[in-house]
Amino acid sequence: MEKLTIKGLRHYLGFPMGLLLALTLALPIIALLVNSLSFGWHWPDLFPQAITNRAWSYVLSTTSGTYASVGLSLEIALIVTLINLVLGMPGAYALARYSFRGKLLVEGIVYAPIIVPAFVSTMGIQMTFLRLGLTESVLGVILAHLAPTLPYMVRALIISFQTLEPSLEDQARTLGAGWWQCFWQISLPHLVPGIVAGASLSILISLSQYLITFLIGGGQVVTLPLLMFPFINGGDLAIGSAYSILFSGMAGLALYAMSWVLKHYYGKRLDFHI
Amino acid sequence: MWRNSKPYWLVLPTVSVIVILFFGGLLEGLAHSLGYFPAAGQLDFSARAYHKLLSSKDFWLSLWLTLRISLLATLFSGILGMGISLFFLRNQQRKSRISLWLQGLMNLPLVIPHFVGAYIIVLLFMQSGYLARILYGFGLIQQFEAFPVLTNDPRGWGIILAYTWKEAPFIALMIYPVLKNIYSNWLEVAKVYGAKPWQFFIEVVVPLLLPAWTSSCFIVFAFTFSAFEVPYLLGVTYPQMLPVLSYTLYTNGGWERMPEAMAINVVLTLITGVLGIMAYKLSRRWGMPGGRS
Repeated sequence: MEKLTIKGLRHYLGFPMGLLLALTLALPIIALLVNSLSFGWHWPDLFPQAITNRAWSYVLSTTSGTYASVGLSLEIALIVTLINLVLGMPGAYALARYSFRGKLLVEGIVYAPIIVPAFVSTMGIQMTFLRLGLTESVLGVILAHLAPTLPYMVRALIISFQTLEPSLEDQARTLGAGWWQCFWQISLPHLVPGIVAGASLSILISLSQYLITFLIGGGQVVTLPLLMFPFINGGDLAIGSAYSILFSGMAGLALYAMSWVLKHYYGKRLDFHI
Repeated sequence: MWRNSKPYWLVLPTVSVIVILFFGGLLEGLAHSLGYFPAAGQLDFSARAYHKLLSSKDFWLSLWLTLRISLLATLFSGILGMGISLFFLRNQQRKSRISLWLQGLMNLPLVIPHFVGAYIIVLLFMQSGYLARILYGFGLIQQFEAFPVLTNDPRGWGIILAYTWKEAPFIALMIYPVLKNIYSNWLEVAKVYGAKPWQFFIEVVVPLLLPAWTSSCFIVFAFTFSAFEVPYLLGVTYPQMLPVLSYTLYTNGGWERMPEAMAINVVLTLITGVLGIMAYKLSRRWGMPGGRS
């Protein structure tokens, strides 16, 4: 009897619980969308009296600098991710396959930027960057973005290497495949999910950086977060909302495109070779 | 020779980049905090900045505020994250359209960056914001002054809300595989021995889940303790959270205050470092994702 009531209760509670969860998660998006289109939105009204494209036409105009900063953000994120991939691949391989003295220390060093905030290190290194002429340059910003992103790439690749059966590589080697051929045709296709995961995090974290880009770029390297920050920090609410949606769209599209390209390319290759 | 040193050569690129760009920065910051500053002709070390910092009321106020906010945000997102994870586990069998939609929506807080999250909290919770309008619509408040100040408030509730919204899905994601394992490995056994669902939860799920949950909570705490954007957007000018105080001293304080900013950074590094080591130890001792079932 008691069991029955609890079960019934759970059945009835399941739906409102889900609805509440969905609302909590979706309400922000609705708020952003309504805000970006609002015009003369007076206090107690739940929806604005009129809809206007003022904010969007400013954000999408050529004078706002949106296009240049979207391009720059994506360019920096892409270069950072490619560097991470090249740097992280051998390191992740060693950490996944070998046990060696000092491995714990190496892991500690590699994972440290996940837990200690990057701006602390960036503030410290700013003087050196200034002396080397790396401040106010895209190169400097790329270097500053490496530390907070590289650990995530290495982590994702380690997990991928751990699921790859070492004997598969050995078989290829016995069949006469060279080191490079073995890596390119056996290991790499298996690593694609890990590469997608690591690259997604790397792109996302690089795109979202505000403070370290500001510190090293000195306001000269205007990525999208830098362009939109004045609007969301007590500026025009509608334009801030439009930029927030644009940013989320850009990040989402970048991730989608990246995983599509990688999976598409390697999916075909994999089919072909097997 | 090559066989023995091979792993070291392989990790060299990763390690050297992080040592130079990250630990180099930390060390340079440490040197600046001790008053070593070649550009200004100061070459001797002193603990003056630490002395000044530890004897200033602002620092202690900031430290307490930071601890309070991080603790509450971690607690809320920890509990909420566990709830979300359990919810998805319960609905996992029936692959209804709603639960698929929910799973898609769950990714949202993970993809949206922190500063946009903070902005969303402003839109929803400010006194003339969305929630105040909804409450007015239900006739619960008559004017927006009746809605509590929850953004840019001195107690940091806006910051706590933003972090909870952002980190609860993170915790849910981290503990979901462990939770799934526990249920698929132990539920039948517990049923055979006649355990009631709540007994199973208290006596089997909680102890087995605790390491993964605590470990993710440490990571969230370390993050909320030391991140800049959210408190910068949602905080007040006094008292500030430690990362914002450091930034303010660094950018507006001039040369004399810079060692103090760096000293705060050293404090942040030490605290987050200890938290990171603790999270690692916890996950090592009890075994992480998947557990040892």
